[in-house]
Parts: sequence; structure tokens; C-alpha cells
Amino acid sequence: MKEGLCPCGSLLRAARCCAADQAQWPSQEAAALLDDKAAEATKLFNEKKHGEAETLALTILDAVPNQRAALRVLFEIRNAQKRIKAADALGIRLAGLPGTAALRALANGQFAQYLVAQGRHTEALPFAAAAVKAAPRAAQGHHVLGVVFTETGAVLAGERHYRQALALLRREDGMVLGNLAWNLKLQGRLSEAEALYARALALRPDNTRGTGGLAQVLFIKGERGRADALLDEALTRWPQDRMLRLLKVMADLACQRPGEALERLGPPEAQMPPELLARGRAFMQLGQMQEAISAIATARTIQRERTGHTYQPEALLGQSERDKAYFTGDRLRPLPRAAAGGFTPVFLLGFPRAGSSLLEQLLAQIPGFAPGDEAAPVAALAKAAPGLLGGDYPECLDEMLVGEAAYAPDRLREMYETPRRAMGLVRPEVRFITDRASSNIWHLGLIKLLYPEAPVIHVLRHPYDLVLSNIVQDRKLEGNAQAGLPGLARYFALQAEMIRHYRGQLTLRYLPVRYEDLVADPEAAVRRVLAFIGVEVALPPDFPANATRVAEPLPAHFAGREAVHARAAWRFKPYRAALPNLFTEVAPLLDPWVRELGYEEQGA
Amino acid sequence: MSGTAHPGKVVMPLAEALEKLAKLEQANKLDEADDLATRMLAAMPEHPHILQLAGIVSYRSGRVAEAIERMEKSEALSPTAALYPRNICEVYRGAGRLDDALRAGQRATQLAPADARSHFNLALIHYERLELDDAVRVADQAIALDPDFAEAHFEKVEALLLSGRLREGWESYEWRFKLKQAEGMLPKTEKPQWDGQAMEPGKLLIIGDQGFGDCIQFARFIPWAALLAPQPVVACSGELLPLLSQIPGIGKIVTRWDDAAGYEAYIPLSGLPRLAGATVENIPPSGYLSPKPELVAQWGEKLERLAPRGKKRVALVWAGRPTHKNDKKRSLKLSQFAPLFTRDDVVVLTVQKGDQIAQAGGYYGHAPLVNLGPEIEDFLDTMAILKHVDRLVTIDTSVAHVAGASNVPTSIVLPYAPDWRWLLSREDTPWYPSLRLYRQTTPYRWDDVIQRVAADL
Repeated sequence: MKEGLCPCGSLLRAARCCAADQAQWPSQEAAALLDDKAAEATKLFNEKKHGEAETLALTILDAVPNQRAALRVLFEIRNAQKRIKAADALGIRLAGLPGTAALRALANGQFAQYLVAQGRHTEALPFAAAAVKAAPRAAQGHHVLGVVFTETGAVLAGERHYRQALALLRREDGMVLGNLAWNLKLQGRLSEAEALYARALALRPDNTRGTGGLAQVLFIKGERGRADALLDEALTRWPQDRMLRLLKVMADLACQRPGEALERLGPPEAQMPPELLARGRAFMQLGQMQEAISAIATARTIQRERTGHTYQPEALLGQSERDKAYFTGDRLRPLPRAAAGGFTPVFLLGFPRAGSSLLEQLLAQIPGFAPGDEAAPVAALAKAAPGLLGGDYPECLDEMLVGEAAYAPDRLREMYETPRRAMGLVRPEVRFITDRASSNIWHLGLIKLLYPEAPVIHVLRHPYDLVLSNIVQDRKLEGNAQAGLPGLARYFALQAEMIRHYRGQLTLRYLPVRYEDLVADPEAAVRRVLAFIGVEVALPPDFPANATRVAEPLPAHFAGREAVHARAAWRFKPYRAALPNLFTEVAPLLDPWVRELGYEEQGA
Repeated sequence: MSGTAHPGKVVMPLAEALEKLAKLEQANKLDEADDLATRMLAAMPEHPHILQLAGIVSYRSGRVAEAIERMEKSEALSPTAALYPRNICEVYRGAGRLDDALRAGQRATQLAPADARSHFNLALIHYERLELDDAVRVADQAIALDPDFAEAHFEKVEALLLSGRLREGWESYEWRFKLKQAEGMLPKTEKPQWDGQAMEPGKLLIIGDQGFGDCIQFARFIPWAALLAPQPVVACSGELLPLLSQIPGIGKIVTRWDDAAGYEAYIPLSGLPRLAGATVENIPPSGYLSPKPELVAQWGEKLERLAPRGKKRVALVWAGRPTHKNDKKRSLKLSQFAPLFTRDDVVVLTVQKGDQIAQAGGYYGHAPLVNLGPEIEDFLDTMAILKHVDRLVTIDTSVAHVAGASNVPTSIVLPYAPDWRWLLSREDTPWYPSLRLYRQTTPYRWDDVIQRVAADL
């Protein structure tokens, strides 16, 4: 690197880039004096003369660091070169330039799309929002904001912006319709999603993502035949499409067709981590344990090498220590509680892959229950609380002791209920809405203030089975815990300690239910849960078949709905027998929990 | 310590090092003492007194097995040192090895027949073994050697009371105020202790001495005192105020000495049984406490929501105040109540308070458990909750007295050598008819006790 160049990699001098004093920059009027030169750079870029365009842009920006068009050219070049740090710095600078509303909307909108393309949806939010504020009548801005909200879990806000985009366009748009359909699929509003996909695909038959989305909707609805046929047809048209192929493989695995899945995946050498993980699952179904673990290990190694991601618990540790210090019995006792709400949430706790989705599916078949899945979690209220009360979370909850803030629990409870009403979960016949947000484990203290006597059902599963089941899933966990078995074990211990703390400090209406009992005798386990909740109803006929029709909205995990089976319980035992070293590293972490959870008494 | 001096190594004479080690231990600087003991043992692993002191440090640091190993070795190396069996006698007692403790205690008294402390230690062992006549006899030997030995007097009292010899016991019961832990329990005053004679109204101060349980237990004698000295002033801690205010005949209740001014005589609450001439046959009845109706109603509604229906409600307390001198004997772990938790027809409502409440966080038994402790403000809440349970299962702690005084069906689990008030061998108690007593049949073994409790639910 030349002396004085900016560490961001823009190849501008630092004094003209990240270390520049922006207060000293020329005015936009002065910067406009170089518009002709900047237009020349743009022209060179458009003619793909990138070297010349870059040289000219660097020269212009060395003189006038805030020259808009030159910044744009250099941003595009660095983006194309995958110099992310430099592109980030230039893009942020562009988005922050003063100018007309249209210019600000364009700069912010483009930078938001740049971030969305990289999957950095949370970072994209302020830029997408700025674009909409600058140009509220521009459909594109609402479309991007819809994507951002949808992919960060704020599905209702996402839906609103997609619909605004459609209204502003005043015409059908295949892309926006497809994205709205995906949003509705996430909300479990499957019939609406299916109808929208039909309209979207009629306009854009080449929309492979839309085709995949529709297949997933059909799968969740239980129409596996139609989903299979759709994917088969799509793969005939686009045989090289990896996303569609992987969806078909997942369908194979859900239908216990591991041989077909392996054949479809092809040779492992060319496979990406999600495909290798699917390969691992296929081998698991075949009982080929060595091959399964080998495929999984390869996938995780590639992921670590490509992303550098390892288990990073620091943020989780910090927050859990803060929560433990705050949420003590003595501190919470004087805080006000929310009054009774419009329905009773039933919180289903559980480490990922513990079986809370199975329990939610089974409860959803009981009259009076609706499956709320992970939508609009309490975690979002923890983020909203500082805005409502002032100060940092959780200490800001102390404000509830003072004056009108005593009503904050009611307001937060209302914020919890509103999205459920919007999603159609709150209906006259619904008394209980299950909430299986994985983040609830961290927020039992806040839950205690909002729903002091709501049932909390904790699905337990043998810790070895949990880490084994998670390591094969293509799902990102907090702190990148999925990166390997040790990370999963530490993540498990961290969550278990948090639950132990809350249960020791709070009066919770808490019932542990073992996955192993649930699959061995689902009727008895669910009857026990219902008795605990205080519900006396007859179970549907053929209850363990898990096939009773359930009203929408339906969570995505209904795609994997099948008759209750016990083949995944105690799975770690044959693995430990076949691969004696598999759990060696995690045993010191997990064995104390095996004992505390009572699994040792069960001969495990 | 001897040996070749190394650069940078400070060499200390043995006597000086031993003195330093003893002082560190006595000053409760256990980490430093441990470090010094380890270094001294490394240099002189066979020195009996180093081993002895190192054993004491181990014991006080909670490493009982190591302590016993070091002290046994010490005793074997110096079998005529009377101090060693006297010390290890206490360590064996703490470890629940009462046969070994007895042998060591007897050996200590043989080696040092004029040592009152050795006799006292042996009396303790006899009490733990429920050899109460021996406990009284050996305590008397200690008292003969040192007539002002308050602990020995009190040990004798406890043995007499536990034997049911209440009148004899009460006479020496006043020695409790000479115990170190009783400092500050009584006011600094020139006024006399009440002798049971009639007094003007409002001129008697009754002091809620001892623990919460004792105060609740002896509160039944206040109406008797009020007949002789009407409208007495009762001084007690704030926690007891809402309970004692239910006792008839009291003039006023105070929680600060300053508010008690104007009395002409005082009496500790635990002194009333002596003045009243209490025996096993004439104990005033229980039922003198009752919960507030509004709290009973509130908790009733709350429990309807929190506890699953159709199950027996069993309230549970498994641990007492850790600083209680007998806490190790009386407190259990929540997990030790496992036989209760396997029952399908039970919901466990824990009314445990204090730090041990955290154990509820690690409960994964079959029976649902509702940890009520975090929402219990005081004894009035506890009493209101107990009105809604089928039974309380508890260790020997204040909640047992609250339950007994309000006639709640209760199973109380007791150590082999229990506190004197529970007397011997019987399954009931004249103090509280609603209590059923479950005694250890073997010292420090709880499993069969809890199984009996669970079977009888």
C-alpha cells in the first residue's frame, strides 16, 4: 500500500477518504464544477473501461472527495472488485451526501440494495428507510424496505411496504408479487401466498425463486404431490439450478427418500456446504454414520474457511450476565405487571431441534390452540423497551416503578398482541397461541412482566441428540453456534444456565416435557401438557398421525409435518458406539447437564 | 523449617512457621493458610503438628476427606498428643462418622482427663448418637472441670430437654445467653429479669430472642405472661411483627430498643416456658396464628392459575438459614426430595426463601413444581399459601413453626439427633398437633426418610 492510502482499500489517500474532515469538504455547488470530468469517468465506466474510469475518478476525488458521480464510479468499481470495506466506505459516503430528495433517495436506495445483495439486511435498514423518507412515492424504495423488513423478521412491516410498492406501481409486478408471496408464506398465510405466486409466475415465468417459494408453500400446506411435481417440472426447465435442486433434495429427505436425495445431489466434490449437509442427512437416514459425519464435517470446515465464522459467544455472554444481574426475584417483585390480554400465550421453550415444533404441531390440532411459531417475538419488545422507557435494556424496566410508566407492561403486551391480530392468529375460537421463538429463552424476565402466569412449556431433549441434530442443519444459530459441536455444546450450556437462573428467580408456570416422552407416547405427553395448562378436551381421532387439518396461518415447520415417530430419539447412542470419539470434546460440557436434566437416571 | 537456603527463598524457623500457620487459620485467612500448609508439608510431610494444622485448614476449607487423612496421619505419628483426637473428634462428627468420633472423643478424654473441652466434645458426640444420659454425664464432667463453661451447660440443657426432662432443662436454659452467639440478644439494662410476679400494665418487656422458629413456638406463652403483667411490650424483628401482633394480650410491639423504653423488668420469650413451668403435658395449644383472609383469597386465585388442577398440592421447604449452627444436619438439597417428584398425583409448591431458592432452577422432576418463593413477601404470604395446600413437607425451620402454629398438616423431616423441641422417638409433637415427624434412622441419611414422607402423602 502506498503511504497515506486509506486502509479501507479505496486507493484514495486517507485524508481524502475515511480520515477526511467532512466539514472541510467543498460545497456541492463547488463539487459540481467537476461534473463534466465526472461524467467522463461515468462514460468510461459504462463503456467498461474500468482502469481509465478508476484513474479519473481517483483524480477527481483527490481534489474533491465529495464529487457525487466520481464517488459513484469508484463505489461501483470497488464493489465489482469485491473490495467490500472500500465499497462500504464509499457507499456510506454517497448516501450521506446532501442533495435533492431524489438524489438522496437514489443513493440510499442503491446502497441498501448493495447490502441486501450481500444478505446484510439489518445494516440495510437505515438506508432503505432513508430512501423511503426522501421519496415516499417511489415504489422501488418501498420494495427494498419490504425486503429488508421481511428478511429481518418484521414480516408485517414488510408486507405493508410491499403492498405500498404495488399500489404506487399501479400495475402487477412479478418481482414484488413474488416477494410479497414469500412474506405471506413466512406469516403462514399460505392460501394468499399461493394465489400471489400464481399471479407472480404468470407475469415472470422465469422466476426460479418464485417457483421454489411456491413449492415450499405447497409443502407446508401438506400438498406434497403438487410440490414434488412443480419442482420436477422446474428442474426439467432449469436442470442446473442449485436452489431448486436443493429444495427437491429437501423434499426427498422430508419424504424419507435418502437414496434419491443422494443421487440428485451428485458427487460431493462439487457440493456447497448446504448440499453437503443435506448429504449428511441423507446418510443419517440410511444409517451410514461414518459417511454422514464425514459429509457434515466437510461442510462445516468449508463454512469456517470461507467465512471465518467460529462460535462467538461474547455478545451472548455479555447480555446473559446483564440479564442475570437484573432479573432477580427481589428486583422484579415490585415491578408492575400487565393486565390480562386478549388471549393466553403458551411459550414453548427449547434448544433448537428439541422438538418444540412437533409440540406446536400437536397442540395446533387441539381446539382453542393456534400455532404462533416464531413471529413477532418478545425479543423485539426488549428492543422497543428503551424507546418506551428511556435508558438501556433491561435496566430501563426500573422506570416502570415511576408514574405513568407503570402502564408500560400493558403497552408492551399490546405490542406483542397487535401483530398476532394482524396475522389472523387471534380469532374467536382461539384461546391459546403458542410462541416458540427461540429467543424467548433469554427473555423470560420480560415475559414474566407481560404475561405473569402464562404457561411455559420447556421441551427437553438429550443434550447429545441436540448437538448431533443441530450440526447437520443448515441453519444459522446465535453466535454462529452451528459452526461445530463444541460451539453447540457451549451454546447449549449458556442457554441452560439462563433458564436455570430464571426458574430460580421467578415464579413461572413452567413444565418440562421430554422429547423422548413426546415421541414415545404423544397422547400421554400432550394430555399432561393440556392438564398443566388447564384444558380439558378430547384429542382428535388418530392424534399421533399428526394430520388433523389446522387453520391458517401455518408456520413453515408444518412442511416437515409427519406422523409422530421415535426414530430420532436417542440417536446419539449408535453414533457414540460407532464413532467413540465423536462426543469426546463436548462430554465435559454436556455431561453435567445430562445429569441435571435427569437423563442419567434414564440409563443414558 | 530447616534445609539448604536457596536464592530468593525465605527460610523460617519451624516454630515460627507453625505459629504463623495457626494464626492465619484463626484469622480465617484460609487461602494463605492453605498455601503455607502446602509448602510446609512439601518440606516436612511427616511432621505431626504440621499435618494437624494442615488438616484443620483443609476441614475449614471444606475438604473433609483430605482433613481426615491428614489428621489421622498426624495422630498416628504422635499417638499421645491429646489435642489430636480432640480435634479429629469434631471433624469426624462433621463428616457424620459418629463411631470414629466417639472413639476419638473417648481417647481425647483418656489422654487429657482434666481438659474440659475434650469432655464437651465427647458430650456432643453422645448427643449426636442419642446417648443422652451419657451426654448429660460427660457434660457434667466438663462443667465440673470448668464451672463457667457455657457451651457445656447448654449441651447438657439440650440433652435434658430432648429427653423430655423439660423442667430440669429450663433451669439451666439461661446459660444460652452466655453463649458467644447470644451476644446482643438482650438489651443492655439495669432492669431485672422478670421473675413471674404480677406487674403493672405495660411494664414488662418480652424480648423475641433466638430464631424465628423459637419465637413463634414460644409466642403461645405470651397470653399467660399477660395475665400476670398485662399489656406487655414485645420487642422482635420486623419479620415477626405481623405474626406476633396476632397474639392476644400484647400491649404494643416494637422493633427497636428505643421504642421499648419505660419497662420495669424484661424476659426473653424463650424464658417464658421456665416461668410458666411448661412440661410435655401442659403446653398451651397451637392454632394461635392465622392468615389474613384477603391474602388467603389472593393466593387462592393465584394458585388456581399457577398450579395444575386435580393434583395434591404439596408445599416444600428444603433448606434453612445456612448460618444456623445445625444447618448442615437439618438442610437438604431439593434433589434429595426425589421420591416426591416421581408421583403423578402431586404438584410441588415450593415456599423456600433465601439463596437456596436457586435450586428450583435445576429441577426437572416429573411432578410440576411452582417456585413460589420469589413472590412471597413475608410469613403472612407463606401462611396464606399454606391454607391452600394439602400438606407442607419441610425441614426443621421457621416455616414448620408457622405451619404448626396455624394448624397446617405438615410432614417435618428431622435429623437423627434433632433439636431438643422435637423430643425423642415420637411421630407427633405436643407443640404442634398438625405436624407429623419423620426422623432419620441413621445419622445423615435422608433417602429412607423422604421415601416414607412420599409414601404417606
